[in-house]
Amino acid sequence: MLEKTEIWQGTLALMVLKTLEGMGPLHGYGIARRIEQISGDSLSVNYGTLYPALLKLEQEGFIASEWAPSENNRRARFYRLTAAGRRQVAKAEREWDRATKIVARFLDPGAESA
Amino acid sequence: MRRLLALARRFSELWSKARRDRELTEELAQLVEMETASHVSRGMPPAQARRAALMRVEVESTKAKCREHRGLPRLEALGQDVRYACRTLRKKPGFAAVALATIALGIGANTAVFSVVYAALLRPLPFPDPQELVSVAETSDRGNISERGLSYEDLLALERSGIFAEVAGVTRHQLTLSGASDPTLVTALGTTSEMFPLLNITPLRGRYLLPEDEPGGAAPVAVLSEPVWRNRFAADPRIIGAAINLDQRAFTVVGVMPAGFGLPGAGRLQEVWIPVTQDPLFRTFLPHREIHGLFVLARLKSGVPLARTQSQADAVSAQLAHDFPAESRGWRLRLVPLRREINGELRAPLLVLLAAVGFLLLLACVNIANLLLAKATSRVREIAVRQALGAARGRIISQLMTEAAVIGLLGAAFGVALAFWGVRAAALVLPSALPGVRNVELDGWVLGFAFFVSVLAVLLFGLAPALLASVSSIQVNLKQSVAQTGESGGRLRLRSLLAGAEIALAMVLVVAAGLLVRSLIAMTSVNPGFESAHVLKAAISLPRYQYSSPQQWAAFSSDLLERIHAQPGLEASAIAVPLPVVDQAVNLKFSIADHAPLPPSLPATADYVSVSPQYFRVMGIPLVRGRGFSEDDSSTRPAVAIISQSLVREYFSNEDPLGKELVFGFPPGPPIAHQIVGVVADIHDAGLNQNPAPMMYVPFAQAPFWGGELVVNSTLPAADVVGAIRRVVASIDKNLPVTDVAAMPDVIAASVSEPRFRTWLLAAFGFVALLLAATGVFGVVSYSVACRRREFGLRAALGASPGLIAGLVLRESASTAGTGLLAGLAASLVLVRFLRSELYGVAAYDPLTFAAGAAVLLCVALVASLIPAWRAMRVDPTLTLRCE
Repeated sequence: MLEKTEIWQGTLALMVLKTLEGMGPLHGYGIARRIEQISGDSLSVNYGTLYPALLKLEQEGFIASEWAPSENNRRARFYRLTAAGRRQVAKAEREWDRATKIVARFLDPGAESA
Repeated sequence: MRRLLALARRFSELWSKARRDRELTEELAQLVEMETASHVSRGMPPAQARRAALMRVEVESTKAKCREHRGLPRLEALGQDVRYACRTLRKKPGFAAVALATIALGIGANTAVFSVVYAALLRPLPFPDPQELVSVAETSDRGNISERGLSYEDLLALERSGIFAEVAGVTRHQLTLSGASDPTLVTALGTTSEMFPLLNITPLRGRYLLPEDEPGGAAPVAVLSEPVWRNRFAADPRIIGAAINLDQRAFTVVGVMPAGFGLPGAGRLQEVWIPVTQDPLFRTFLPHREIHGLFVLARLKSGVPLARTQSQADAVSAQLAHDFPAESRGWRLRLVPLRREINGELRAPLLVLLAAVGFLLLLACVNIANLLLAKATSRVREIAVRQALGAARGRIISQLMTEAAVIGLLGAAFGVALAFWGVRAAALVLPSALPGVRNVELDGWVLGFAFFVSVLAVLLFGLAPALLASVSSIQVNLKQSVAQTGESGGRLRLRSLLAGAEIALAMVLVVAAGLLVRSLIAMTSVNPGFESAHVLKAAISLPRYQYSSPQQWAAFSSDLLERIHAQPGLEASAIAVPLPVVDQAVNLKFSIADHAPLPPSLPATADYVSVSPQYFRVMGIPLVRGRGFSEDDSSTRPAVAIISQSLVREYFSNEDPLGKELVFGFPPGPPIAHQIVGVVADIHDAGLNQNPAPMMYVPFAQAPFWGGELVVNSTLPAADVVGAIRRVVASIDKNLPVTDVAAMPDVIAASVSEPRFRTWLLAAFGFVALLLAATGVFGVVSYSVACRRREFGLRAALGASPGLIAGLVLRESASTAGTGLLAGLAASLVLVRFLRSELYGVAAYDPLTFAAGAAVLLCVALVASLIPAWRAMRVDPTLTLRCE
């Protein structure tokens, strides 16, 4: 089995935003599971990275949080996307798309001439 | 924008810290539960599941990482550091007091001196476009005259040339203001009307002088200064249009200038402005091109550089020399930026002072660095413990730097307050100490300078101790107690290096102060060449409208002297103009009749004084040859002169001057031949710090003047003498003011008040420098003794005598001091040449001063080491051995 990859610097925020966009409000555990699930279990989310990232996104106003009852009827903190967050997802997606295309050209120079 | 929002949110989080902490704890507890539940659901035993969950979540570490992202950790850390620094300062009040006082003194002295430097040399003049203002003077290489004013005719020529946007002249002298109350002398400025538009100022009331006031036939008008209007005329607005009497002539007041206004460069006291063409004194000089009596200001055409205007002025000079060879040949117009012209002579002494306080601050910084280093040493363990507990090096440095900053900025605040009061006090005590420097104040620029200097100082004294304290090895410092840190040789070396630097800096200041003190002693011990002990002087000035002819002046003075001589105790009295030291010397060109041509190197000028017959006796100036003046030397007799020894030395080296004829004339009179009838001893007429100039005296009766200085040599109390003089003058004419009454010794002392003030200031700095250096040496030697306690104990146990041990300590401090002295000597030798312009009668490289400075510092260093040496002698060997 392959080693689980650490999440690359800077991509976690986008993953979180995208997850919240697709799934609606989620708590931290839920976000972590969903990211791991989507990656086909090839990524491992480190809570020591995830929580500060959530904090930062909240400070930037891309996500908001509130306490609500969880599945097991305990109080849990749920994060949801804000309007600014939605715009940010779109913007980040575009940028990411561009960046990966550029990198892809470097990785496969022949594709350019084709 | 987004970042700013985030910052604002983080800032708001500072106030909800506790709640957010609680919530995070709850959130992470929930997370652990969820993780545990998921493990259990996959069949793991609950206890093992919980352990796995805890390992995955790492609650405390995650919390710490979140905290770093929350609020403003840097700001919070800074707040913490500041609080901690204040606490440590409070805990060590002695250290705090010394450090704060030292830095306050350093910053205060720098701020005060800078405020004066700024006001005198940097602040723009209070007129629109001040950079366009220049002064115009005339220089003559033939007469060896560095700078003179312009004649009215030359000013008109400049005006016609059109090389300036505006050009105007002013002359300054005193006139008698009478009418409203007691007659008094006011300082009047005869100006051309272009002056006011040139400076672009508006009067407080009424108008300023206009071109239509200038023609000779125009009604005489005057503009008053605000203080004269307030004090003499009770600020009465009806003054506009009213008449005042200047020298017994009616002038209509047309305006009042705002408070604080003065024509730049035209003297400190300015009370009345009148058209120069109406000036009772100067208007008779107007047609004389050879009388260089006007101080001329000009405004450059906008955008035209000074150099180009100067070359245009050179063309004007050449044209004048061509058209009027007799009067104008050899003279050249010279343009100087107005700011330089006004305070140019203050530049050198102010820069010397600024350098001195700079050195003082440097010394203060080194001293505080030394103190901080000592404090850091006693905190070695505290710092080691904090490092062991995970404090990063940067965090420790920033904490130590914060302490330094708290000391520095708090001290600077005290220092600025000190400077504020100091500048006030100096202005009160020494109104004449800073001529031409008006309105010295602590404004934004000065405060900015103070802040900048304080930050620099903090970096200077804080950085090295902080860096050094944070590199120490944790294990070593944890294991050892303070008293045992004998191995920290690097720190000791640095500290003795700092002490050496203090000695060096102090040496520079002490040498500078020493040179100035020697120079002041030389200056004040100069024998002026005349008797001053019991001499009193008073100025009497005759109104030129009432007393218009030289015959009247001569008659008045002989009447006055006759009546004064009749008073008991006032027999030794005379009149002179100008009086040495008191008045500006009058330097006139002369030639010698029937004499071989003088070498061109000699300027052939001498200082001219008109005196009554008794003058030499009253002033105690010895007659060397020939005779003095007598009552027979009247206006109807042949013109005679008495010359001084230096004139004989320079112009009659191999011949007998008696009977020869000297040709000269006081303008506007023509040069006439004066037979030399006597030779008197030299006097320092232009000032104690000036060499005696060649002098030529003439009898007052043959060269009368509209005023003069009455000098009385009397053993009566001064008040009686003054009372008698006033009574006698009033008995002749009750409208005549007697002014500027002073005892000659006071006048002479006042003439050196400025160098005296500067000297004592620098001496005070030197003294403070000695104190600082002493504490520095004391600190280092004490520390070194504390470190070497065991060594001294062992030596004592092995039989070393207390004297030997004390010798060890003293030798060490002497070697520190010696290194410092050598460095200081080198620095002083380089720096004293900047002091040269301030020195009189002492060479810049005066070996005595250097040796004395070195000796004083060596003594200070040794005295500062005596207490530590005594402590070293008293180390108890048995105690040391038991500790081993």
